[in-house]
Amino acid sequence: MWNYEKRLMYPIKITKTCPKTAQYIITQYGGPDGELSASMRYLSQRYSMPCKKVGGLLTDIGTEELAHMEMICAIVYQLTKNLSVEEAKTAGFDAYYIDHTSAIWPQSAGGVPFTALEFQSKGDAITDLTEDLAAEQKARTTYDNILRFVTDPDVRDPIRFLRAREVVHFQRFGEALEKTKENLDAKNFYYFNREFDKKISSI
Amino acid sequence: MKVLDRTSILKEINEASFAVVDLTLYLDTHPTDKDALNMFSNCMEKRKKAMKKYETQFEPLVVDCVDPAENNVSNSFTNYSGETHWTWSDGPLPWDPFGSD
Repeated sequence: MWNYEKRLMYPIKITKTCPKTAQYIITQYGGPDGELSASMRYLSQRYSMPCKKVGGLLTDIGTEELAHMEMICAIVYQLTKNLSVEEAKTAGFDAYYIDHTSAIWPQSAGGVPFTALEFQSKGDAITDLTEDLAAEQKARTTYDNILRFVTDPDVRDPIRFLRAREVVHFQRFGEALEKTKENLDAKNFYYFNREFDKKISSI
Repeated sequence: MKVLDRTSILKEINEASFAVVDLTLYLDTHPTDKDALNMFSNCMEKRKKAMKKYETQFEPLVVDCVDPAENNVSNSFTNYSGETHWTWSDGPLPWDPFGSD
């Protein structure tokens, strides 16, 4: 279960309205490599993980991703809360405004709604952990792209914090993958799928 | 009584709590690292002390710490100043630090 803690993981105080920046940032809420996708990926994969420690790590990282999601939403909210009608007509944000006014809704920078098709939960530890490593890198790349565009230091500061967390998670998933390999056939990690081929695993 | 500053105690909480989160992930993959275990307990102690200081002066940040008799002695961000009330709903919403009561 989860409990709420009434604070952001890292403070966000943005004073300057900017719908264009909001359009970029929202992708880390509902986009292909966003925090919602990250959290759902790890919290879905953990059930079938054969190594208990890795299930625990997925729970803790999946939980941190929820806190990151809240930060992203807070950034988008603060960038658009004082929006004027003229500002809402900003190219790229205008269509979002028509459907959602200044509410927060998970979509990508290109307007594609959040979808579970953006992540996998495959029931094979090697497959799932390799996806997780890639996911952290994809999120880091997206943050790098955002940092190339955004100049407001009030936005850049929390985005840099989130970018750094992707690097840490990548490291931890790398360790989890090594731990998992220790429990598989050292000569061929892909010989069997321990989650499903339970009888074969004793051969 | 000295009025403690909301932002500075929250900064203490954020810093200690961040260390707790980061050390949690590290210890998930290095469960016997003595230095990390020591750092974890130091940071957790700092976090608990700062949380206690914050909830006494302002609103509780976790529901476990709701105590209408002890919370928010500064009567900050509340509509029920001086009245016994549900202190969980005192304080600004986390995503809206400039928000009013």
